[in-house]
Amino acid sequence: MAVSASWVCDLDLRGVSEALAAGKVSSVDVTEAYLDRIARHDGVLRSYITVMGEAARARARAADAEQSAGRRRGHLHGVPIALKDLIAVAGVRMTGGSEMLADHIPARDAFVTERLHAAGAVILGKLTMHEFAFGRPAVDGPFPTGRNPWDVRRAPAGSSSGSGVAAAAGLCAGALGSDTGGSIRGPAAMCGLVGHKPTYGLVSRGGVLAMDWSLDHVGPMTRSVWDSAVLLQAIAGHDPADTSSLAAPVPDYLAHLEDGARGLKLGLLRRFYVDWPGLDAEVRAAALAAFDVLTREGATVQDVDAPILDLTGAIWTCFLAEMYEYHREMARRAPEKYREGTRVRLYMGALVSAQDFLRAQRLRMRFKREIDALLGTVDVLVFPGQAGPAQRFEDISSLEVMAPGSRYTSPWNLLGLPAVSVPAGFTRAGLPVSIQIVGRMGDDATVLRVARAYERATDWHKRRPDPAGWKLG
Amino acid sequence: MAPDMDLRARFDAELAAAGLNITGRDYDLLFLMWKEHLPQREALRAAAPAQEDEPWR
Repeated sequence: MAVSASWVCDLDLRGVSEALAAGKVSSVDVTEAYLDRIARHDGVLRSYITVMGEAARARARAADAEQSAGRRRGHLHGVPIALKDLIAVAGVRMTGGSEMLADHIPARDAFVTERLHAAGAVILGKLTMHEFAFGRPAVDGPFPTGRNPWDVRRAPAGSSSGSGVAAAAGLCAGALGSDTGGSIRGPAAMCGLVGHKPTYGLVSRGGVLAMDWSLDHVGPMTRSVWDSAVLLQAIAGHDPADTSSLAAPVPDYLAHLEDGARGLKLGLLRRFYVDWPGLDAEVRAAALAAFDVLTREGATVQDVDAPILDLTGAIWTCFLAEMYEYHREMARRAPEKYREGTRVRLYMGALVSAQDFLRAQRLRMRFKREIDALLGTVDVLVFPGQAGPAQRFEDISSLEVMAPGSRYTSPWNLLGLPAVSVPAGFTRAGLPVSIQIVGRMGDDATVLRVARAYERATDWHKRRPDPAGWKLG
Repeated sequence: MAPDMDLRARFDAELAAAGLNITGRDYDLLFLMWKEHLPQREALRAAAPAQEDEPWR
Protein backbone atom coordinates (compact mmCIF):
# COMPACT_ATOMS: atom_id res chain seq x y z
CA MET A 1 0.00 0.00 0.00
CA ALA A 2 1.41 3.40 -0.92
CA VAL A 3 1.96 5.79 1.95
CA SER A 4 0.35 9.13 1.15
CA ALA A 5 2.95 11.30 2.89
CA SER A 6 6.07 9.67 1.43
CA TRP A 7 7.11 13.07 0.02
CA VAL A 8 8.07 14.22 3.53
CA CYS A 9 11.10 11.92 3.50
CA ASP A 10 12.80 14.25 1.01
CA LEU A 11 12.31 17.26 3.25
CA ASP A 12 14.68 18.51 5.89
CA LEU A 13 13.50 18.69 9.49
CA ARG A 14 12.35 22.26 8.99
CA GLY A 15 10.21 21.21 6.03
CA VAL A 16 8.61 18.43 8.05
CA SER A 17 8.04 20.76 10.98
CA GLU A 18 6.44 23.44 8.81
CA ALA A 19 4.21 20.91 7.03
CA LEU A 20 3.02 19.67 10.41
CA ALA A 21 2.49 23.18 11.78
CA ALA A 22 0.49 24.16 8.69
CA GLY A 23 -1.69 21.06 9.03
CA LYS A 24 -0.66 19.80 5.58
CA VAL A 25 0.14 16.44 7.11
CA SER A 26 -0.31 14.75 10.47
CA SER A 27 2.38 13.34 12.71
CA VAL A 28 0.82 9.90 12.21
CA ASP A 29 1.14 10.30 8.43
CA VAL A 30 4.74 11.48 8.71
CA THR A 31 5.63 8.68 11.09
CA GLU A 32 4.06 6.09 8.79
CA ALA A 33 5.99 7.54 5.85
CA TYR A 34 9.31 7.08 7.63
CA LEU A 35 8.38 3.62 8.91
CA ASP A 36 7.46 2.60 5.37
CA ARG A 37 10.73 3.95 3.99
CA ILE A 38 12.67 2.12 6.71
CA ALA A 39 10.86 -1.11 5.83
CA ARG A 40 11.64 -0.66 2.13
CA HIS A 41 15.27 0.43 2.32
CA ASP A 42 16.88 -0.39 5.63
CA GLY A 43 17.49 -4.00 4.66
CA VAL A 44 20.33 -2.60 2.54
CA LEU A 45 21.23 0.59 4.41
CA ARG A 46 21.16 -1.05 7.87
CA SER A 47 20.82 2.17 9.83
CA TYR A 48 18.45 0.91 12.54
CA ILE A 49 19.08 -1.63 15.27
CA THR A 50 15.61 -1.19 16.77
CA VAL A 51 12.60 0.35 15.04
CA MET A 52 10.13 1.53 17.67
CA GLY A 53 7.08 1.30 15.40
CA GLU A 54 4.24 1.02 17.90
CA ALA A 55 5.74 3.44 20.42
CA ALA A 56 6.33 5.95 17.62
CA ARG A 57 2.76 5.63 16.37
CA ALA A 58 1.45 6.21 19.89
CA ARG A 59 3.59 9.33 20.32
CA ALA A 60 2.49 10.57 16.90
CA ARG A 61 -1.19 10.09 17.76
CA ALA A 62 -0.66 12.00 21.00
CA ALA A 63 1.12 14.81 19.14
CA ASP A 64 -1.76 15.06 16.64
CA ALA A 65 -4.31 15.09 19.44
CA GLU A 66 -2.47 17.91 21.19
CA GLN A 67 -2.24 19.95 18.02
CA SER A 68 -5.94 19.40 17.33
CA ALA A 69 -6.60 20.73 20.82
CA GLY A 70 -4.65 23.87 19.97
CA ARG A 71 -1.40 23.03 21.69
CA ARG A 72 1.78 22.85 19.64
CA ARG A 73 4.92 22.53 21.73
CA GLY A 74 7.38 23.95 19.23
CA HIS A 75 9.35 23.12 16.11
CA LEU A 76 9.82 19.46 17.04
CA HIS A 77 6.15 18.79 17.76
CA GLY A 78 5.26 15.52 16.01
CA VAL A 79 8.61 15.32 14.20
CA PRO A 80 10.20 11.83 13.97
CA ILE A 81 13.75 11.70 15.33
CA ALA A 82 16.06 8.71 15.76
CA LEU A 83 18.80 8.12 18.33
CA LYS A 84 22.21 6.49 18.24
CA ASP A 85 21.92 3.21 20.12
CA LEU A 86 23.88 4.45 23.10
CA ILE A 87 21.21 6.96 24.14
CA ALA A 88 18.72 5.40 26.53
CA VAL A 89 15.01 5.12 25.90
CA ALA A 90 13.24 3.53 28.86
CA GLY A 91 12.15 -0.03 28.14
CA VAL A 92 13.87 -0.19 24.74
CA ARG A 93 16.94 -2.34 24.17
CA MET A 94 20.18 -0.32 24.04
CA THR A 95 23.09 -2.27 22.63
CA GLY A 96 25.91 0.22 22.08
CA GLY A 97 26.39 -1.74 18.87
CA SER A 98 27.82 -4.61 20.87
CA GLU A 99 26.90 -8.20 21.54
CA MET A 100 28.01 -7.45 25.09
CA LEU A 101 24.83 -5.43 25.64
CA ALA A 102 22.55 -7.34 23.29
CA ASP A 103 19.95 -7.83 26.04
CA HIS A 104 20.40 -4.56 27.91
CA ILE A 105 17.16 -2.67 28.50
CA PRO A 106 17.54 0.65 30.35
CA ALA A 107 14.88 1.52 32.90
CA ARG A 108 15.10 5.28 32.39
CA ASP A 109 15.24 7.72 29.53
CA ALA A 110 18.47 9.60 28.90
CA PHE A 111 18.29 13.32 29.66
CA VAL A 112 18.22 14.13 25.94
CA THR A 113 15.43 11.59 25.36
CA GLU A 114 13.36 13.27 28.08
CA ARG A 115 14.01 16.61 26.43
CA LEU A 116 12.94 15.36 23.01
CA HIS A 117 9.77 13.88 24.44
CA ALA A 118 9.05 17.16 26.22
CA ALA A 119 9.49 18.98 22.92
CA GLY A 120 6.87 16.71 21.36
CA ALA A 121 9.25 14.75 19.15
CA VAL A 122 8.45 11.19 18.07
CA ILE A 123 11.31 8.76 18.70
CA LEU A 124 11.39 6.44 15.70
CA GLY A 125 14.08 4.06 16.84
CA LYS A 126 17.66 3.30 17.76
CA LEU A 127 20.43 3.61 15.21
CA THR A 128 23.45 1.50 14.37
CA MET A 129 26.90 2.51 15.49
CA HIS A 130 30.44 1.27 15.71
CA GLU A 131 30.80 -1.05 18.67
CA PHE A 132 30.87 1.02 21.89
CA ALA A 133 31.50 4.10 19.73
CA PHE A 134 35.03 2.89 19.04
CA GLY A 135 34.89 -0.26 16.93
CA ARG A 136 35.40 -0.49 13.21
CA PRO A 137 32.84 -0.50 10.38
CA ALA A 138 31.16 -3.88 9.99
CA VAL A 139 28.85 -5.38 7.39
CA ASP A 140 28.41 -8.66 9.28
CA GLY A 141 27.54 -9.88 12.76
CA PRO A 142 24.51 -9.02 14.89
CA PHE A 143 25.00 -5.26 14.56
CA PRO A 144 26.30 -4.17 11.15
CA THR A 145 27.18 -0.49 11.11
CA GLY A 146 25.32 0.74 8.04
CA ARG A 147 26.03 1.62 4.42
CA ASN A 148 26.59 5.05 2.93
CA PRO A 149 23.46 6.15 1.03
CA TRP A 150 25.60 7.98 -1.55
CA ASP A 151 27.35 4.71 -2.43
CA VAL A 152 26.33 1.59 -0.54
CA ARG A 153 29.71 -0.02 -1.21
CA ARG A 154 31.22 2.59 1.07
CA ALA A 155 31.11 3.14 4.82
CA PRO A 156 29.31 6.14 6.28
CA ALA A 157 32.15 6.59 8.80
CA GLY A 158 31.44 6.43 12.48
CA SER A 159 30.88 5.91 15.14
CA SER A 160 27.43 7.49 14.71
CA SER A 161 27.13 5.62 11.43
CA GLY A 162 23.42 4.85 11.60
CA SER A 163 22.64 8.46 12.53
CA GLY A 164 24.44 9.61 9.40
CA VAL A 165 22.80 7.04 7.16
CA ALA A 166 19.25 7.49 8.48
CA ALA A 167 19.27 11.28 8.40
CA ALA A 168 20.85 11.44 4.93
CA ALA A 169 18.60 8.76 3.46
CA GLY A 170 15.39 10.25 4.82
CA LEU A 171 14.71 7.44 7.28
CA CYS A 172 14.09 10.06 9.99
CA ALA A 173 13.79 13.84 10.04
CA GLY A 174 16.93 14.23 12.14
CA ALA A 175 19.12 12.19 14.43
CA LEU A 176 21.27 12.43 17.51
CA GLY A 177 24.77 11.05 17.60
CA SER A 178 27.71 11.23 19.96
CA ASP A 179 31.23 12.47 19.30
CA THR A 180 34.40 11.53 21.21
CA GLY A 181 36.93 11.94 18.41
CA GLY A 182 34.74 12.86 15.46
CA SER A 183 31.83 10.45 15.65
CA ILE A 184 29.21 13.08 14.78
CA ARG A 185 31.24 15.19 12.37
CA GLY A 186 32.83 12.25 10.52
CA PRO A 187 29.62 10.54 9.43
CA ALA A 188 27.97 13.92 8.82
CA ALA A 189 30.81 14.79 6.44
CA MET A 190 30.67 11.44 4.66
CA CYS A 191 26.88 11.46 4.33
CA GLY A 192 26.35 15.10 3.31
CA LEU A 193 24.85 16.31 6.58
CA VAL A 194 25.28 19.05 9.12
CA GLY A 195 26.87 17.52 12.22
CA HIS A 196 27.22 19.56 15.39
CA LYS A 197 29.46 18.63 18.29
CA PRO A 198 28.26 21.14 20.86
CA THR A 199 30.32 22.77 23.57
CA TYR A 200 31.33 20.16 26.15
CA GLY A 201 28.80 20.15 28.97
CA LEU A 202 26.10 21.99 27.01
CA VAL A 203 24.26 18.73 26.35
CA SER A 204 23.99 16.22 29.16
CA ARG A 205 25.64 12.81 28.92
CA GLY A 206 23.13 11.45 31.42
CA GLY A 207 21.78 8.10 30.23
CA VAL A 208 24.32 7.91 27.40
CA LEU A 209 26.89 5.08 27.30
CA ALA A 210 30.33 6.50 27.96
CA MET A 211 33.40 6.07 25.82
CA ASP A 212 35.76 8.71 27.26
CA TRP A 213 34.10 10.76 29.99
CA SER A 214 36.09 13.91 29.32
CA LEU A 215 35.72 13.80 25.54
CA ASP A 216 32.13 12.59 24.97
CA HIS A 217 29.60 14.97 23.42
CA VAL A 218 25.99 14.37 22.28
CA GLY A 219 24.68 16.40 19.35
CA PRO A 220 22.50 16.70 16.25
CA MET A 221 22.98 15.29 12.75
CA THR A 222 20.61 16.81 10.24
CA ARG A 223 20.05 17.96 6.66
CA SER A 224 20.34 21.66 7.44
CA VAL A 225 21.83 24.10 9.95
CA TRP A 226 18.38 25.29 11.08
CA ASP A 227 17.51 21.68 11.86
CA SER A 228 20.61 21.28 14.02
CA ALA A 229 19.94 24.55 15.82
CA VAL A 230 16.41 23.44 16.67
CA LEU A 231 17.52 20.03 17.89
CA LEU A 232 20.29 21.60 19.96
CA GLN A 233 17.80 24.02 21.49
CA ALA A 234 15.71 21.07 22.63
CA ILE A 235 18.49 19.00 24.16
CA ALA A 236 20.79 21.69 25.64
CA GLY A 237 20.52 22.57 29.29
CA HIS A 238 21.69 21.82 32.78
CA ASP A 239 21.42 18.30 34.15
CA PRO A 240 22.37 18.03 37.83
CA ALA A 241 22.95 14.31 37.33
CA ASP A 242 25.83 14.96 34.90
CA THR A 243 28.89 16.31 36.72
CA SER A 244 30.15 18.00 33.55
CA SER A 245 26.85 19.69 32.72
CA LEU A 246 27.05 23.48 32.38
CA ALA A 247 24.72 25.58 34.48
CA ALA A 248 24.82 28.64 32.22
CA PRO A 249 21.58 29.77 30.55
CA VAL A 250 21.01 28.35 27.06
CA PRO A 251 20.75 31.08 24.40
CA ASP A 252 18.23 31.14 21.57
CA TYR A 253 20.08 29.41 18.73
CA LEU A 254 17.71 30.70 16.07
CA ALA A 255 17.95 34.35 17.16
CA HIS A 256 21.11 35.17 15.17
CA LEU A 257 21.16 32.25 12.76
CA GLU A 258 20.41 34.46 9.75
CA ASP A 259 22.80 37.28 10.70
CA GLY A 260 25.24 36.24 7.99
CA ALA A 261 29.03 36.25 7.88
CA ARG A 262 29.60 39.96 7.29
CA GLY A 263 32.19 41.35 9.65
CA LEU A 264 33.24 38.01 11.07
CA LYS A 265 36.91 36.97 11.17
CA LEU A 266 37.66 33.39 10.19
CA GLY A 267 41.01 31.80 11.06
CA LEU A 268 42.08 29.18 8.53
CA LEU A 269 44.33 26.48 10.02
CA ARG A 270 46.15 26.13 6.73
CA ARG A 271 49.42 24.47 7.73
CA PHE A 272 47.95 21.63 9.78
CA TYR A 273 44.87 20.98 7.69
CA VAL A 274 44.99 22.40 4.15
CA ASP A 275 48.67 21.70 3.54
CA TRP A 276 48.62 18.20 5.07
CA PRO A 277 49.80 15.80 2.32
CA GLY A 278 47.16 13.26 3.28
CA LEU A 279 44.31 15.60 2.36
CA ASP A 280 42.35 14.52 -0.71
CA ALA A 281 42.77 17.00 -3.56
CA GLU A 282 39.04 17.28 -4.26
CA VAL A 283 38.27 17.91 -0.60
CA ARG A 284 40.99 20.57 -0.50
CA ALA A 285 39.63 22.32 -3.59
CA ALA A 286 36.05 22.22 -2.31
CA ALA A 287 37.05 23.59 1.09
CA LEU A 288 39.09 26.46 -0.36
CA ALA A 289 36.16 27.29 -2.64
CA ALA A 290 33.90 27.29 0.42
CA PHE A 291 36.12 29.78 2.23
CA ASP A 292 35.97 32.00 -0.87
CA VAL A 293 32.18 31.85 -0.62
CA LEU A 294 32.34 33.00 2.98
CA THR A 295 34.66 35.82 1.94
CA ARG A 296 32.10 36.92 -0.65
CA GLU A 297 29.51 36.79 2.10
CA GLY A 298 31.48 39.44 3.96
CA ALA A 299 33.78 37.47 6.25
CA THR A 300 37.53 37.94 6.30
CA VAL A 301 39.70 34.83 6.21
CA GLN A 302 43.25 34.85 7.55
CA ASP A 303 45.75 32.03 8.00
CA VAL A 304 46.43 31.05 11.59
CA ASP A 305 48.39 28.25 13.23
CA ALA A 306 48.85 26.45 16.52
CA PRO A 307 52.10 24.43 16.55
CA ILE A 308 50.85 22.00 19.17
CA LEU A 309 48.28 20.64 16.74
CA ASP A 310 51.05 18.26 15.64
CA LEU A 311 50.85 16.55 19.01
CA THR A 312 47.09 16.30 19.32
CA GLY A 313 46.89 12.77 17.91
CA ALA A 314 49.31 11.54 20.55
CA ILE A 315 47.48 13.46 23.26
CA TRP A 316 44.08 12.11 22.21
CA THR A 317 45.30 8.53 22.15
CA CYS A 318 46.23 8.70 25.84
CA PHE A 319 42.54 9.01 26.55
CA LEU A 320 42.09 5.43 25.48
CA ALA A 321 42.98 4.90 29.12
CA GLU A 322 39.58 6.35 30.05
CA MET A 323 37.90 3.94 27.67
CA TYR A 324 39.81 0.97 29.03
CA GLU A 325 38.91 1.95 32.58
CA TYR A 326 35.22 2.00 31.61
CA HIS A 327 35.47 -1.43 29.99
CA ARG A 328 38.05 -3.07 32.23
CA GLU A 329 35.78 -5.47 34.08
CA MET A 330 33.74 -6.43 31.02
CA ALA A 331 36.86 -6.90 28.93
CA ARG A 332 38.36 -9.26 31.48
CA ARG A 333 35.13 -11.16 32.11
CA ALA A 334 34.07 -11.77 28.52
CA PRO A 335 36.64 -10.51 26.00
CA GLU A 336 35.19 -12.75 23.30
CA LYS A 337 32.04 -10.66 23.24
CA TYR A 338 33.89 -7.71 21.71
CA ARG A 339 34.69 -7.63 18.04
CA GLU A 340 38.38 -8.25 17.48
CA GLY A 341 39.14 -4.71 16.29
CA THR A 342 37.43 -3.18 19.30
CA ARG A 343 39.02 -5.53 21.80
CA VAL A 344 42.57 -5.01 20.61
CA ARG A 345 42.17 -1.24 20.51
CA LEU A 346 40.70 -1.36 24.02
CA TYR A 347 43.85 -3.08 25.20
CA MET A 348 45.86 -0.15 23.88
CA GLY A 349 44.18 1.90 26.60
CA ALA A 350 45.60 -0.44 29.24
CA LEU A 351 49.10 0.34 27.99
CA VAL A 352 48.89 4.07 28.67
CA SER A 353 51.07 4.78 31.69
CA ALA A 354 50.18 7.27 34.41
CA GLN A 355 53.15 9.39 33.34
CA ASP A 356 51.98 9.51 29.74
CA PHE A 357 48.43 10.31 30.79
CA LEU A 358 49.61 13.24 32.91
CA ARG A 359 51.87 14.45 30.12
CA ALA A 360 48.87 14.37 27.80
CA GLN A 361 46.81 16.35 30.31
CA ARG A 362 49.51 19.00 30.56
CA LEU A 363 49.88 19.26 26.79
CA ARG A 364 46.11 19.44 26.54
CA MET A 365 46.37 22.59 28.65
CA ARG A 366 49.04 23.99 26.34
CA PHE A 367 46.76 23.25 23.40
CA LYS A 368 44.03 25.20 25.16
CA ARG A 369 46.36 28.17 25.65
CA GLU A 370 47.38 28.22 22.00
CA ILE A 371 43.82 27.94 20.70
CA ASP A 372 42.45 30.46 23.21
CA ALA A 373 45.06 32.89 21.90
CA LEU A 374 43.92 32.31 18.31
CA LEU A 375 40.28 32.67 19.23
CA GLY A 376 41.16 36.00 20.80
CA THR A 377 42.00 37.29 17.32
CA VAL A 378 39.36 35.55 15.17
CA ASP A 379 35.71 34.62 15.71
CA VAL A 380 35.96 31.01 14.54
CA LEU A 381 38.48 28.58 13.09
CA VAL A 382 37.79 26.96 9.73
CA PHE A 383 39.33 24.08 7.79
CA PRO A 384 38.34 21.14 5.58
CA GLY A 385 35.92 18.82 7.34
CA GLN A 386 37.56 15.52 6.48
CA ALA A 387 40.73 14.01 5.02
CA GLY A 388 38.96 12.35 2.13
CA PRO A 389 35.59 11.12 0.91
CA ALA A 390 33.83 7.97 2.13
CA GLN A 391 35.95 4.84 1.89
CA ARG A 392 35.06 1.43 0.52
CA PHE A 393 34.65 -1.10 3.31
CA GLU A 394 37.53 -3.22 2.07
CA ASP A 395 39.94 -0.26 2.19
CA ILE A 396 39.44 0.46 5.88
CA SER A 397 42.22 -0.75 8.18
CA SER A 398 41.35 -2.38 11.47
CA LEU A 399 44.88 -2.09 12.81
CA GLU A 400 45.11 1.63 13.39
CA VAL A 401 44.62 3.06 16.85
CA MET A 402 43.16 6.12 15.15
CA ALA A 403 42.78 6.69 11.42
CA PRO A 404 45.14 9.43 10.14
CA GLY A 405 42.11 11.43 9.02
CA SER A 406 40.94 11.76 12.61
CA ARG A 407 43.28 14.79 12.82
CA TYR A 408 40.36 16.74 11.32
CA THR A 409 38.08 16.03 14.25
CA SER A 410 39.66 14.57 17.38
CA PRO A 411 41.70 17.64 18.53
CA TRP A 412 38.50 19.56 19.12
CA ASN A 413 37.15 17.01 21.57
CA LEU A 414 40.18 17.65 23.76
CA LEU A 415 39.12 21.27 24.25
CA GLY A 416 35.35 20.80 24.25
CA LEU A 417 34.89 23.60 21.73
CA PRO A 418 31.77 23.73 19.56
CA ALA A 419 32.43 22.31 16.08
CA VAL A 420 30.12 21.96 13.10
CA SER A 421 30.64 20.01 9.90
CA VAL A 422 28.77 21.53 6.93
CA PRO A 423 28.25 20.07 3.42
CA ALA A 424 30.56 21.83 0.95
CA GLY A 425 30.21 19.94 -2.30
CA PHE A 426 30.74 16.59 -3.93
CA THR A 427 33.63 14.74 -5.51
CA ARG A 428 33.52 13.78 -9.17
CA ALA A 429 32.36 10.35 -7.97
CA GLY A 430 29.38 11.98 -6.25
CA LEU A 431 30.59 11.65 -2.67
CA PRO A 432 29.93 14.44 -0.14
CA VAL A 433 32.68 16.71 1.16
CA SER A 434 32.51 19.24 3.95
CA ILE A 435 34.09 22.09 5.83
CA GLN A 436 34.35 22.42 9.58
CA ILE A 437 33.86 25.46 11.78
CA VAL A 438 35.13 25.59 15.37
CA GLY A 439 34.19 28.33 17.82
CA ARG A 440 34.89 29.63 21.28
CA MET A 441 33.75 27.70 24.33
CA GLY A 442 30.01 28.20 24.70
CA ASP A 443 29.68 30.11 21.44
CA ASP A 444 27.73 27.49 19.51
CA ALA A 445 25.54 30.29 18.16
CA THR A 446 28.37 31.87 16.16
CA VAL A 447 29.48 28.51 14.80
CA LEU A 448 25.93 27.86 13.61
CA ARG A 449 25.68 31.39 12.21
CA VAL A 450 28.79 30.92 10.05
CA ALA A 451 27.57 27.48 8.97
CA ARG A 452 24.21 28.95 7.98
CA ALA A 453 25.84 31.85 6.14
CA TYR A 454 27.70 29.33 3.99
CA GLU A 455 24.71 27.05 3.62
CA ARG A 456 22.37 29.74 2.35
CA ALA A 457 24.91 30.82 -0.26
CA THR A 458 25.10 27.28 -1.65
CA ASP A 459 22.74 24.42 -2.40
CA TRP A 460 24.79 21.35 -1.45
CA HIS A 461 22.48 20.64 1.46
CA LYS A 462 19.49 20.31 -0.85
CA ARG A 463 20.85 17.33 -2.74
CA ARG A 464 19.58 13.88 -1.81
CA PRO A 465 21.05 10.43 -2.43
CA ASP A 466 19.11 8.39 -5.01
CA PRO A 467 17.22 5.40 -3.55
CA ALA A 468 17.66 3.65 -6.91
CA GLY A 469 21.25 3.00 -5.84
CA TRP A 470 20.30 1.33 -2.57
CA LYS A 471 20.83 -2.25 -3.65
CA LEU A 472 23.63 -4.73 -3.29
CA GLY A 473 25.41 -6.72 -5.98
CA MET B 1 69.18 -8.44 21.03
CA ALA B 2 67.85 -7.60 17.59
CA PRO B 3 65.75 -4.41 17.49
CA ASP B 4 62.51 -6.32 17.10
CA MET B 5 63.43 -8.52 20.06
CA ASP B 6 64.07 -5.37 22.06
CA LEU B 7 60.64 -4.15 21.13
CA ARG B 8 59.09 -7.50 22.03
CA ALA B 9 60.70 -7.42 25.43
CA ARG B 10 59.51 -3.86 25.99
CA PHE B 11 56.02 -4.74 24.86
CA ASP B 12 55.88 -7.80 27.09
CA ALA B 13 57.03 -5.70 30.04
CA GLU B 14 54.25 -3.20 29.39
CA LEU B 15 51.66 -5.97 29.13
CA ALA B 16 52.85 -7.38 32.43
CA ALA B 17 52.76 -3.96 34.09
CA ALA B 18 49.20 -3.50 32.86
CA GLY B 19 48.21 -6.93 34.14
CA LEU B 20 47.16 -8.06 30.69
CA ASN B 21 47.45 -11.72 29.82
CA ILE B 22 46.97 -11.82 26.08
CA THR B 23 47.96 -14.57 23.70
CA GLY B 24 47.54 -15.72 20.11
CA ARG B 25 46.13 -13.43 17.46
CA ASP B 26 45.16 -10.70 19.94
CA TYR B 27 48.78 -10.56 21.12
CA ASP B 28 50.10 -10.31 17.56
CA LEU B 29 47.61 -7.62 16.55
CA LEU B 30 48.18 -5.60 19.70
CA PHE B 31 51.94 -5.78 19.21
CA LEU B 32 51.60 -4.46 15.66
CA MET B 33 49.29 -1.67 16.79
CA TRP B 34 51.56 -0.78 19.71
CA LYS B 35 54.61 -0.74 17.44
CA GLU B 36 52.83 1.43 14.87
CA HIS B 37 51.90 3.86 17.60
CA LEU B 38 55.36 4.15 19.18
CA PRO B 39 56.48 7.24 17.23
CA GLN B 40 53.46 9.17 18.51
CA ARG B 41 54.18 8.10 22.04
CA GLU B 42 57.80 9.09 21.72
CA ALA B 43 56.72 12.49 20.41
CA LEU B 44 54.47 12.93 23.42
CA ARG B 45 57.29 12.07 25.79
CA ALA B 46 59.71 14.37 23.99
CA ALA B 47 57.40 17.36 24.25
CA ALA B 48 58.26 19.50 27.24
CA PRO B 49 55.27 21.28 28.74
CA ALA B 50 55.78 24.73 30.19
CA GLN B 51 55.75 25.19 33.96
CA GLU B 52 52.34 26.85 33.72
CA ASP B 53 50.90 23.88 31.83
CA GLU B 54 49.25 22.18 34.77
CA PRO B 55 47.24 19.03 34.04
CA TRP B 56 43.84 19.66 32.47
CA ARG B 57 40.93 19.54 34.88
